[in-house]
Amino acid sequence: MRRRALPPPLVRMLSVVAGCLLVAGCATWTQSFREIERHLAAARYAEALAALEHQGDAKREPLLYQLNKGMLLHMAGQYAASNDAFEQAKRLIEHYSALSLREQGAMFVINDAASAYAGEEHEHVLVHLYAALNYLALGDRASARVEALQVDLRLREQAARGGPDYVESAFARYLTGMVYEDLGEWSDALIAYRKSYEAYDRYRERYGIEIPEPLKHDLLRLTQHLGLRDEQRRYQEAFGITAGVDHEAWRRKGELVFMLHNGLAPTKQEQVTAVLDPTSGHYYTIALPYYRSSPPAIRAARLEVNGVAVETEVYEDVQALAKRTLDLKMPAITARALARMVVKAQIAKAARERARRSNDNSLAGLLLSLTTEVATVVTERADTRSWATLPSNIQLARIALPPGRYDVRVELRGSGNVSLGAFDLRDVVIEAGRKTYVSRHVPAANS
Amino acid sequence: MIRTVQLTRPFAAALLAVVLAACSTTVERLGVEETRDLSGAWNDTDSRLVSEEMIQDVLARPWVQEHRRVHGRAPAVIVGEVRNLSHEHINVHTFIADMERALINSGKVKFVASRAERGQLREERKDQELHAREDTRKPMGQELGADYMLQGAINTIIDVEGKTQVRYYQVDLALISLADNTKVWVGQKKIKKLVKNSRLRF
Repeated sequence: MRRRALPPPLVRMLSVVAGCLLVAGCATWTQSFREIERHLAAARYAEALAALEHQGDAKREPLLYQLNKGMLLHMAGQYAASNDAFEQAKRLIEHYSALSLREQGAMFVINDAASAYAGEEHEHVLVHLYAALNYLALGDRASARVEALQVDLRLREQAARGGPDYVESAFARYLTGMVYEDLGEWSDALIAYRKSYEAYDRYRERYGIEIPEPLKHDLLRLTQHLGLRDEQRRYQEAFGITAGVDHEAWRRKGELVFMLHNGLAPTKQEQVTAVLDPTSGHYYTIALPYYRSSPPAIRAARLEVNGVAVETEVYEDVQALAKRTLDLKMPAITARALARMVVKAQIAKAARERARRSNDNSLAGLLLSLTTEVATVVTERADTRSWATLPSNIQLARIALPPGRYDVRVELRGSGNVSLGAFDLRDVVIEAGRKTYVSRHVPAANS
Repeated sequence: MIRTVQLTRPFAAALLAVVLAACSTTVERLGVEETRDLSGAWNDTDSRLVSEEMIQDVLARPWVQEHRRVHGRAPAVIVGEVRNLSHEHINVHTFIADMERALINSGKVKFVASRAERGQLREERKDQELHAREDTRKPMGQELGADYMLQGAINTIIDVEGKTQVRYYQVDLALISLADNTKVWVGQKKIKKLVKNSRLRF
């Protein structure tokens, strides 16, 4: 016994500790994302993609990697490649929807980030929406329709799980409504708009988002076209709009659908509380995630085309959705963190007692005890993973235009209507009875 | 403490085995007739089932003889749009190509190039006008006009409860006369699958 430098249990313990350190890493996910964020703020998409490849998420966090890759490619205008990534992401979401007992165990011993990232509910919906936007940008309306059906499936499944408090993604319904409308499927479009209206009605109290003005006109126009007089009258009373646009007149024009993906979604931060137990020398640590959010610098975009000026409206507040998702999960996260603290304290105690018992090899024992102590503290990290390349909010404007080619002036406005920059959309082609989708990401106001 | 560490030994061995197995790529060749369902989504077997059913049906029906009786020649068909109205990104070209091949090889039906294919052909003919020897030149305006257009749609209905799904696919194809819009043949194939996703994973 004496000749051995390290007793076998100690070797084992050290290897366990080393393993824990390897699994957990020393930085939270948010910290490893900073470089990508920096490139994005300057609209350097190629560099951001290169940084994503370096980050090592491809192996460690396959879902986050595919989501971020898809989004960066979407921003860079590589729509087909972006959809390849989103397809992979969808497959991974299905895969991770099954429970892993191994990961559940690890979450109680190491930290919450020891489980594979399975994505949040709103992210599961948004992946379909961005895939649909990619298809629309490629002019493939049939494939966008496939995404619309997949969104419907996803929302129905979430509603079945969500209970009475669940509110569908109003923007998802609205976008699918536009996809159906573009294909001339009026009744499907009306159903989607109706569901969107119901969801926006609840968005008002929950996220402070008003029912978008174009949605009101869509509902009036389609109910009139489909001959649903009662429903049309109800909407007229609810919105206080009597003069609706005639469907046939509307079809003779085309439409510009401009989407502003505004800012970047907030990333989760870590808050660590550590208390030293003076009798045992053990650190009780607890690390919890929180969102440090700030409203995006851009309030809205003002579009000028053909002598008409229209301002974008907020259709989806991704930041608010993310915060609400975390708030709902916080009790479980806190409970797990407390349980972990107890488990780690037990491990540290066992190591201390071993060190006390093996007097003959006090240095090794001390080393073991110390390493275990360090490991329990170092591995306690908050799970800060999220789809961070999402925008802070999604804004939209719809402008009806006669068929032709147009140059559109887009001015970005901050609070108090301060101009935060402008750009032009050149040669936007508008066809009769069709929608032309133009999407712009502005990760930071000064880009 | 020691006991718990020892318990992890078989676990570590199993982990190692899995890691090693995951490291090597394996390839197994399958017969094209073999059914191998992985995710429950539309796959090669579904496509094959649709083409088999459609080919058998379209050749068994009397529309070809009827056309021959009236016009005295084999009908010419053009492939139109097969709309994908399903929940999945389905490639419809596989079973359409199967059908096309079977119909042409039967010798009863002629196919003319579709809108996408003929652009290149017309360009080539234009090029021949300028560059080909006169006796080998193919004149323009001699194309065979189609008598029928093949159109269709794939529809799905998906019912989900927890981890269990019933996936129902319905493929409808129709041959529509370009002369008077009558449908001379309507084929249908229905496929139904029960998909149970695992609640647990490693």
